[in-house]
Amino acid sequence: MELARAFAEKEVEPTEALRDIVNSCNMCGICDRQCYFVTQRRPTQAQQALQEYLNTLPPQALKPTPEDDIVKGLRAIVGDEYATNDPVIIASYQRSIIKQKSKGKYYIVMPKTTQEIVAIVNLANTHKIPYLPRGNGTFFGVALQTLLAEPATIEQGIIIDMWRMKDLEVDPESITATIGPGVTSFELQKAAHVHKLRANVAEAESCVIANAQNLGIVTTWSNTYGWGTDNFIDAEYIDSTGTIQHLSDKDIPNPYAAEQGLLSLSLIPSVIVTKLTLKLHQILPDEEAIFIPFNNLPDALDFAHELARRNIGVSLAVLSRKYLTEFISPTHEIAEDFNYIAEKYLNLNYIVDVICDSYSKKIVEDLAPVSFGKEMIKSLILGSSKLSSMKDSSLLKMIGEEEDPLKTVFAGPMRKHFEKGLASSPKELVKDMDKDLQDFFEKLYSKPEMTDPIWLHNYRILPCRMERKHMWMYRGGYMPGDKKTILKVVDALEQPAKQYGIEGAFGFLSYLERGKLCHLEYDYYYDHTDPDARHRVNKAIVESWRQQFAIKGVTPLEFICSKGLHRKEHIIYPLLPGLSKEELEHFEELIETLFGGEDTW
Amino acid sequence: MVKFLSQEWAEQAKKKVLTELDKAKDLKNMNATLLNVIQNIPPDNKTIYYYIKFTEGNLDELITGTDESLKQKQADFIVTGDYTTFIQINNGQMSSAMALLKNRVKMTGNKMKALTITKPIDTYNNCVKGVPTEY
Repeated sequence: MELARAFAEKEVEPTEALRDIVNSCNMCGICDRQCYFVTQRRPTQAQQALQEYLNTLPPQALKPTPEDDIVKGLRAIVGDEYATNDPVIIASYQRSIIKQKSKGKYYIVMPKTTQEIVAIVNLANTHKIPYLPRGNGTFFGVALQTLLAEPATIEQGIIIDMWRMKDLEVDPESITATIGPGVTSFELQKAAHVHKLRANVAEAESCVIANAQNLGIVTTWSNTYGWGTDNFIDAEYIDSTGTIQHLSDKDIPNPYAAEQGLLSLSLIPSVIVTKLTLKLHQILPDEEAIFIPFNNLPDALDFAHELARRNIGVSLAVLSRKYLTEFISPTHEIAEDFNYIAEKYLNLNYIVDVICDSYSKKIVEDLAPVSFGKEMIKSLILGSSKLSSMKDSSLLKMIGEEEDPLKTVFAGPMRKHFEKGLASSPKELVKDMDKDLQDFFEKLYSKPEMTDPIWLHNYRILPCRMERKHMWMYRGGYMPGDKKTILKVVDALEQPAKQYGIEGAFGFLSYLERGKLCHLEYDYYYDHTDPDARHRVNKAIVESWRQQFAIKGVTPLEFICSKGLHRKEHIIYPLLPGLSKEELEHFEELIETLFGGEDTW
Repeated sequence: MVKFLSQEWAEQAKKKVLTELDKAKDLKNMNATLLNVIQNIPPDNKTIYYYIKFTEGNLDELITGTDESLKQKQADFIVTGDYTTFIQINNGQMSSAMALLKNRVKMTGNKMKALTITKPIDTYNNCVKGVPTEY
């Protein structure tokens, strides 16, 4: 898609690589199915556009790209096929690791082994050019639309695409897995499940190692599995001199220590991780999902914190209405209606989302004012389209007039009517989707996994649906788990969004260390194709940093970046006091030094 | 044109800072000593030390050289990086704070104090980049 845009905007001249790209696709449409499921986009249209564009070109228009010494060196390391300086291929990496319209000279290389990466680092050092590893580009995809683009990218140099490094070995005896940097979360989870084990992983498409190194893997399972080094046993990595090291080496400098505070922002990893051994986890045979709806955040936090303190819930999170409705709805339009209904009629604004064993489930049910389980979730998923069509219906109006709509719908006498009203089939669910995809999605939604909340928590195939309408920017951070601090941080993120006209929404919150600490995700949504919206989101980001740093013990998410292999104890403790007025003034100066005056971003 | 980090460059840079920058307004009366360790300088990958000392915003010292004794100078901050990065900083392509963020340089010293001198050091670098320099 990015390549089609680059041609359309005449940013790049066609080369022989364009023919290869067009010929490599037989237009089978599989990417449409995958992409539509997550983002409602149709990438084959872009491929079609490339094909049509190629057909308009005379054969002599496709020029070969001359080799230089660096690409020759890279090809000598990985083979001709896996290194290039072709501007057409480089254009396809824009916005996922290279800044759009960047004028720098880039190379793409796809190594297969650790030794090849050592040779690449040495080559880069010899030519004195920077390099940057790339997993699946998911973090870059959001950061590159903001003022973080500059510190997150290189202005020229070698992009080391780790996609070919797919080694994956599960050891069921030690309950660990050892993986290469090209392994995705989905692939690891699938391999772990063969042995009835679970990996603590991020969104399905993200590369596990990149995610681990970058953000330490943030999940709803952190209540039990922890974060950062809690999850890792060893890592093999290559430092800037091209030396292979391991976290377990006794002679290396303390790999777990981390800077704190304002000057600790570092979006580029200092080492390239080439192998990671992770802990896996046993799946209990009696795990069940249970959901507790709330109409306000303080009550949801109180409830979830109580569970965290008592170590209840293998997975435990407070989820927003926005996430719930966006994740489980097959299209954004349905999600918007669902969101409207949940807010206006159901009073369903937050949900405490728990996966636990059968004993804990009983405790949760006893403690919860109202709760529901997998059958209701199944009804909501398959019935989301039907629910959307009931918008402003007399049934919903009647529910909305009840004193406690949550109780009425999920615990009271209307529960049966509501469930019956929602009763739906995969066929009905997909009727609002593109016609040519309906058969496929009907079959897909007929699979039990698609309505199984535990499977969906394990594989995390739904979260990226949040970017169906607009680009988003991942905000939030780490903080003490007390309600007062959390609400202050939510306010510190919400106010700047309002001030600059950005849509902001609570995402989810998960606890660590029996509720002593927590991770909060709050998102800014904006139209990244609108320069004014980008400008406003950047202002909101800076303002929210300022406000977050004024709160004791808070580390904004961006300041965790590149520290995923560190111990959280080193990053979060000692809890930093909120910045003083004078320090906040220096913060403004730092921002100006880094990013220029606000008129430039 | 003077060669980057040469004696002549150091003299011209110091003169420019002393004549063009205001101690209070531009340099915030800062008290700081900073040692830049610039590695991998072609053609033989030597290291040059680039030391600056400010007292109350006055640039007391600006010394460059390969002499190991410079390495022993007391400095609040030691910034280590490649020659190519320092060229980018000196010609204004990248601020020293951005170089730190991008892991192009390593810094030791009190980070909170570093925060207080980020802006004046940037102003200093912007002034020094005005010296006609060859790399």
